[in-house]
This record gives sequence, structure tokens and C-alpha cells, in this order.
Amino acid sequence: MEDSLQVLKQEILDRIGHCNSEQEVEDLRVEYLGRKGRLTLLLRGLKDVPPEQRPQRGAKLNELKVLFEEKIGDRLKESRQAEKERVLREERVDITLPGNRWERGGAHPISLVMDETVDVFLRMGFEIARGPDIEDDYHNFEALNMPKDHPARGMWDTFFISEDCVLRTHTSPVQIRVMEKRRPPLQIIAPGAVYRHDDDATHSPMFHQVEGFMVDGQISFSDLKGVLTHFLRQVFEEKIGVRFRPSFFPFTEPSAEIDIACVLCGGRGRTADGQLCRVCKGSGWLEILGAGMIHPQVFRFVGYDPEKVSGFAFGMGVERIAMLKYGIEDIRLFFQNDVRFLRQFR
Amino acid sequence: MKLTLNWLKEFVSFKNPPEQIAEMLTMAGFEVESLTPLRTEKGEADDWLMEVAVTPNRGDCLGILGLAREVAALTGAPVKLPPPARYALDGSIRSLVDVKISSPRLCPRYSARIVRDIHVGPSPTWMRDRLEACGIRSINNVVDITNYVMLETGQPLHAFDLDRLKSKRIVVRQAGNIRKFKTLDGVERELAPEDLLICDGDMPVAIAGVMGGMESEVQISTKVVLLESAHFDPISVRRTAKRLELHTEASHRFERGVDPEGTLYALDRAVLLLAQFAKGVPIQGTIDRYPRRVKATAILLKDSKVQRLLGMEMKRSEVEKIIKSLGLKVQQRSKSGLKVIAPSYRRDLSREADLIEELARLYGYEKIPSTLPLVRPQGSRADSHLSRERKVRSFLIGEGVTELINLPFASNAMNLRFPGLWQGRASPVPILNPLVQENSEMRLSLIPGLIQNLRTHMAQRLKSFWGFELGKVFCSNNGNDLPTERQQLAILLHGHRERKGLKAKEEEPLDFADAKGLLEGIMDILGRGDQAIWSHNSLPSFLHPGKAAWLNWGDSRLGYLGEFHPDLCEELDLPHFFIMELDFEKLLQYAPPKLTARSLPRFPSVERDLAVVVDEGFPAQRIISWIKDQGDPLIEDVQVFDQYRGSPIPEGKKSLAYRVCYRAEERTLTDAEVGALHQDLILQIGQAFGAQLRT
Repeated sequence: MEDSLQVLKQEILDRIGHCNSEQEVEDLRVEYLGRKGRLTLLLRGLKDVPPEQRPQRGAKLNELKVLFEEKIGDRLKESRQAEKERVLREERVDITLPGNRWERGGAHPISLVMDETVDVFLRMGFEIARGPDIEDDYHNFEALNMPKDHPARGMWDTFFISEDCVLRTHTSPVQIRVMEKRRPPLQIIAPGAVYRHDDDATHSPMFHQVEGFMVDGQISFSDLKGVLTHFLRQVFEEKIGVRFRPSFFPFTEPSAEIDIACVLCGGRGRTADGQLCRVCKGSGWLEILGAGMIHPQVFRFVGYDPEKVSGFAFGMGVERIAMLKYGIEDIRLFFQNDVRFLRQFR
Repeated sequence: MKLTLNWLKEFVSFKNPPEQIAEMLTMAGFEVESLTPLRTEKGEADDWLMEVAVTPNRGDCLGILGLAREVAALTGAPVKLPPPARYALDGSIRSLVDVKISSPRLCPRYSARIVRDIHVGPSPTWMRDRLEACGIRSINNVVDITNYVMLETGQPLHAFDLDRLKSKRIVVRQAGNIRKFKTLDGVERELAPEDLLICDGDMPVAIAGVMGGMESEVQISTKVVLLESAHFDPISVRRTAKRLELHTEASHRFERGVDPEGTLYALDRAVLLLAQFAKGVPIQGTIDRYPRRVKATAILLKDSKVQRLLGMEMKRSEVEKIIKSLGLKVQQRSKSGLKVIAPSYRRDLSREADLIEELARLYGYEKIPSTLPLVRPQGSRADSHLSRERKVRSFLIGEGVTELINLPFASNAMNLRFPGLWQGRASPVPILNPLVQENSEMRLSLIPGLIQNLRTHMAQRLKSFWGFELGKVFCSNNGNDLPTERQQLAILLHGHRERKGLKAKEEEPLDFADAKGLLEGIMDILGRGDQAIWSHNSLPSFLHPGKAAWLNWGDSRLGYLGEFHPDLCEELDLPHFFIMELDFEKLLQYAPPKLTARSLPRFPSVERDLAVVVDEGFPAQRIISWIKDQGDPLIEDVQVFDQYRGSPIPEGKKSLAYRVCYRAEERTLTDAEVGALHQDLILQIGQAFGAQLRT
């Protein structure tokens, strides 16, 4: 008798263990605990059990019933959970399909480089200044120490609006305009478009420059070196080679041309396969900035005393920096405005 | 300036290898642009061709001698001069020719010699090779020698066929009433009265410092040569050469300044070579008219100034060493500095700063320390223009519009058609020397550029094109002052905004509201989205008369927006598109300088809708404005949210639905209260607009 209950218990536990769905569990419940279920019948048959055995057997049967219901409950929970999981699994998406989004526009690389350049100087405490694109001869040339018939005027091919009025050939006239209005200390950065009568793969009739200058009582050439080296390391890379060499501009003295180590060959002049580097043409250096100490004549034009103030000025071509930074080989790409080109810049 | 290293070695005996010399010159301000071996026929490199960029202030280095002086200063090797002619010979030059300078200001010095019994023929091969390596075409031995000596000394020379000079009386004078002259390239030149000429009596034989004449040119039959070695005023030569567009080796040098003390050496050197390679016999004597000798002035070089400009202390001994290496003389020494005299070939050195540059240059820019200066900002505000410009740019890019930058040139026809936002009749700024005649004006508007961009994209069969440009436009002030420049923002939208991902449901065509939405977004960023006034009055003719508007601010026009006129699209062979052009500077002007936050309301709002049936032409904004004008403090906001046409709304009418938001600041409004308020509002609108209400 005891043994048969033990067998039944084992049987029930085994069968619950083998149920694979909610339905099978339910069927099992009906089979044992339904109106005609085997366990129900056994419980009902208690009345036929001799009274002295009844309490003990009743207790055993009840225990079995409680255990059975508990197990059924657990099993149901499990199988419901499994079912939920199955349904969720079936909702699985193809994660390799593309996401839905709007296409965004492109930023113009010139704007990006101009922003980046200006920001380096703003962080150093410089201020922004702007000037007109159409300049008079005085601000574009004369006050920059290039009187009429000065051979240095030939350094720039000029668009003329009238005899006395040009499309500015550089952003340097902003120096004059700011100094005419204000007194030192000055630390100014002036971005803008400039124009040269020229059109080929390396020249565009319009391009962009960022001009900067600093004037105070004791500004020196070594300050110029420090500020521009910092700038170049911010825009290119921390360890980039920077070289200052003498040059000539009518409005600065001493004047310097600043080179960075070639971005393609790293300054070796040759690429890994031994070919002459096409970016620096073998020199290992790339000209990137023109600069110098503001010429005493320029100070005199704006009414500053060159014995009391000194300052440096510099100018750089934004397109050139963008070409080197992004590996762009033809300047005309900047102004063809092809969306497919521009969308690369974000 | 091109030269060969063997040639350079005839002037300075350096031992350094070619690459090192090139590097030294580059780092001293003479950028060596190329250094190439010159090979003999057997393929051995026995010489090097060097191309040096000489800056415009260094006319003295447009001759090998000048560069030799630099190399000497850099290496310490001494400069040496190849021998000039020292023949004692028959005859006397004075009986053969006379020289008179009528304009001594323009011709401070004129030296000349005569060589007879010349045999004109080819130059020796080595000379031809050197000239050609340096970019000068070989003509004949006489002309080649003048060029050869010019390359050596930087002093331009000219050889006249003396037998072809009829009066044998050289006069250096301004052209005056001489109007025409045929230069040796066979071109007849128009002269200006101030041009400086070399004349034979009354006959012009050369444009001074620019080019000789055809009539006195050395030719195969020439026997006697008059050699000119003169000094001309740089500005006068430049003016003449520029006006005649005649840029020659001679004018290039005179413009940049030639050593006035160098005429005789060059002359004698050429005479020697004529004797050696053209079998010439030099006539004794030299004519040397030198009416204006330039006196060198002493330049004060203060130690304190050196330190201030370079940011480092330079020892006096170092200063003197550099000064002397360049051929400058120390005239006087004092506690505070030096008095220095520059040689005649360094006319570019006239100020203290010039000398300090020389010190820095020869000391080496690399050795000057690198420091960061103290920046002393003067307390100005951060640039709001820049930050707003950036916000608008990144908003548009995020909205799918690509930033474009066009050249600011336009054709007259385009400027007439698209006069932009200028008030009244705008006159464009013409360019005197445009690159292409077609685009000979500065743009009045950004639209022509954007239309050109659209056209380029159509040619590539792209389905859509959304672009914007933030750039300047220009308008003439009719010759008074500089032209006016304004920064504008223009946007062109063609086709749908592109989507990424799987195909979405069919999209509605781009319409006015899409374009307007973009503009409202910009106004939002600038903080004044709510105060724009839209108007239909006198729209630009290139816009669709029904789907376009002016954006106004008070009486001021900020910009326009609309569909491009369909007729014009057809005429210009363009697809349909929307454009807008805004006066960006004015937009910023009206933008509030600062943003003030509002705290959040404490009590909930209640929303109620109302719908009215109005005539087709009734502007939806009118009801909103009217409600706002009533100034009811409990009405927080009104929005139009639907527009409906069709059954059961009668033909010629439309239904507009508005949502009114009620809120009290200090309490929660009850339903009954709002219901009464709303009912009242509906009645009033009915009366005010004679509008039929829908329920």
C-alpha cells in the first residue's frame, strides 16, 4: 500500500517533468485531479479504508495532492514563461537591415577648417574681427607698406573694381582697420574670403584666409614662434615637425615662412616604396603659414609708435590646410559644391 | 633665379656638398625650389642646377655674385671676383661716342664701353649650356655675353651696333613727344611721355631698362659694339614695363634694385668676354656718367630693440660677426648699440628692423626660442555673430541641407533677374578685369549660384538637392565709398529630403509648408520665431505668385521664401524647387541678445478645439492674431492644426480647426469655467469674421 503511493508519486513527478506545453500540464492535472482523476478517486476511496489506517493514509494522500498541485503550478509557470520567450523570439528582427533615418547634409570643409582654426585662437584669448571683401587700395596695399609701383604688389594678381578699389588679395587689411580704430593690447583673428586673378588646379580666384595678429608693448619673434607652433600642433598633430625660415612680406620684418613636416611622407621626402613624395615633392616640408613682426612703417600708418609697441602678424590659406588635412588634391573641388563630396564632411 | 653650382663656385669657394648649400640657402630666406644634377654626355653628374626663389626685396641676389655673398656669409668662405678686362688699347672712346643724361633722377648712372672688330657668331658650347640651363635662349656670342654677365652680376647690359647709331650721341631722356618705338621683338610700342628712353640723337634706340630697339640690334654683320651698363630708377622701369606688359630679365632686375656701384665691373667683365669669345678689340677708356651718387646713411642698431623684437638677448660679438659677414660696416660703437653702414648692393637695408631681420636670418630662426606671450583680452564679449552662424549652419546640416560655397561672381543678366534683397534699384559692382567676361560683376544675390549648383546636380541625375549658402552679396554705392556688403543666407530645396533605411510609404511632394518649416526653425534658433510677419505683397517676379511670401519684421524685409516660378523653370530648363533668401545680418540684428528662461506653470492647462468654415482665401493666421489681440489672460496659446476642403464644406470654402489652450496662473480651471469661456470665444469669432462654426 505504502509502496503503491510511493510509485504513484514518482510517476507523477516524472510525468510533470516530461510535459512540454501548458496543454500537457493541464491534461495531466485533469488525469490525476479531475473529477475522475486518479488521485481524486484515491481520495474518494478513503471512506473505504479501515478507520485505523484512514488518518495516516489520508495524510499521505493529501501530502501527495499538495505536492502535485505545487509541481503543476511551477510547471505551468515555467511553460508559460517558455511560451512567452518563444513568442518574443519569433518577433526577432533582422538586425542587419539598415536603420531608418533622415539623410543629413554636409558641412563645407572650408567652414570646418575655418572653425577649427579660429577656435584654437579664441581659446588662447584672441578676438574675432572682420573686414570688407572689397577693399580700397590704401588698406589692401599702401598702409601695408606697398606704395604704388612697389614690386611686391606683383606678388598678388589682383581683381580691380576701380583704380582705387580691389577685391582684397589677403586678409591683412583687417590688421589696418582694427589698428586704426583701437589701441594695443590687441590679439585678433580675422577669417575671410580673399581673391586672386588666377584659376587652375592649385589656385582658385577666390579662397579663404585666416589672418591673426597681436600687438602689445613687448611682443617678440619668439612669441610668434610659440603661438604658431601651438596652433599647428593643435590643428595637425602634437608631435608634428615645424620649421621657421626667413622670407619677405612688405608689411612684416623679420618675415617668416612656416613649414610643417609633410603629412604624407612624414618629412622623409620619399614614400615607403622609395618614390619621391608627391605632396611635398621630395622636400619633406609643406609651406603652411606666412608671418612676421609687424613692420614699423605699418605701425606709423596707423599712428602707433614703433618704439613703444611691437607685434606679430600671420596669415594662412584655409584651402591649403583643408587639402593637407583631408588629402584633397584639387582646390576646385571646394567650389564645385558636389553634395557627394561635401557629405563626407560632418 | 637659376644657376649652376660650378658657376657659383667661380664666385665663392665653398666646400659644402650641394644639398647642404641648398639647405643653408633655404634656411636663410632663399628657398631652393629644386636641385638637379646636370649630367655630361657620359652620364656623370659634374654640376648641379639650382633654382632659388629670390624675394622681391633682394634684387642683389638676381645675380650669382649676390648669392655668392650670401653663401660666403653662411659658410665663411671668401667671395672672389672673376677677372674683368684690363687691356690697354688704341684709340679713345671719347672721340667715338658721347653720352648725355637729361633725366638724372631716372638714370643716376650710365656707363659704356666700345669693342671693335667683333666677329658675331655662336657662343662657345659651355656658355650656351650654362645660359640654357638657366633658362636663357642662346642668340649669338655678343647677346649671350651680355646675358651671361647679367646672370653673374645682376647688372643688365645692352649691346648696340654702333655703326647703326647715326649720330653717335647717346641721350637718356623721357619720351615726351616721341610716341612710338619698335622694340627688338619686332613689336611697335606706344610710349607714354614719362617713359625713359635711350636715344641716339633724336632717335630712340632702347626703352631704358626694359628692351632695346630693332634698328640698333646686334646682327651677324655687326663689327663695333657699344656696351651699356646703366642704373635706372626702379619705379620708372616698373611703370613702363607694366604698362607695356613687357616683363624682361632686365626690367625684372631694375625693378628690384641693382647695385649702382656695380656698372663698371659688369661692363669690364663683358668686354673681357667679348675679347675672348667674339674676337673683339676693346677701345680704350670708359664713359661713366654718374650724376647722382647715393650716399649710404648710417643705421642705428640698438641692443634693446634687438632684444624686444627677437625676444632674446644677442651678444654684441655675435651681432658684429653677422654684420661683418654680410659686408656691412660698423661705423660707431656705443653702450646702447651700433651705427652700421650697408654696402651699395644692399639698398634694401635702411631701417633698424631691416638689420634685425638680417641678424635673425643669419643667426638662424631655428635657434630663436619659442615662448607664449601674455594675452591681455580687453574684456569684450564673446562673438555672438559667430556662435549664431554656427548654430544655424549645424541646424541646417542636421535638417539635411548641405553647405555650399560659391564664387561671388555673377553675370549682368543674372544680377538683373535676381536683384536679391536690396531695397530700391540695386546696382551691381562691376569687375574691371574679370576672369571670364561672362561673370563680370559681383553678385547681388546668392540665388544664381544655387541655381547653378542645382543644374550641376541635375546633370548627375540626383533625385534631390538640398543646399544652402551663407555668403556675402555686394551692391554699388555708385562710386562713393566702398560698395555695401551684406551677409545673406540662401536655401534651395529640390526633391524630397533623402531617407536612409527601407523604403517608407509614399511621400507627399515637397510643398510650401516644408520650406516654411525650415525657415521657422532658423527663426526659432535666433530666438524670434514668433514675431515674423508673412506677406504676399509685391513678390519678386521669379517666385510662384501663389506659393511665396515675404518675411517681414515690422516694416523691414528680412527675406523671401517660395516656389520658383513654374514659367521660369520651364524657360531655364529646371525642375521645380523652393528657394529662400534671408538677410542674415538683419536677422541677427533683431535676434534678442540674451535668452531668458521662463519657469514652468504650476497648474494644468485645458485644451479646447474649434472649427470655422471660411472663404478659400481667408488666412488662418487672422483668427490667431485676433484671439491674441483680445489679450485674455486665461488663453495661453492658440494653434491652427487642421485645414479641410471637400464635402460637406461647400465649394470655395474651407474649414480651419484651432486648438485653444486655457490656463490660469494661480489655480486649476474647472471644466464648466473653460466651457463657458470657450463658448463665448466661439460666438465672438463668429461675429468678428462672419464665419460659420462647425461643431
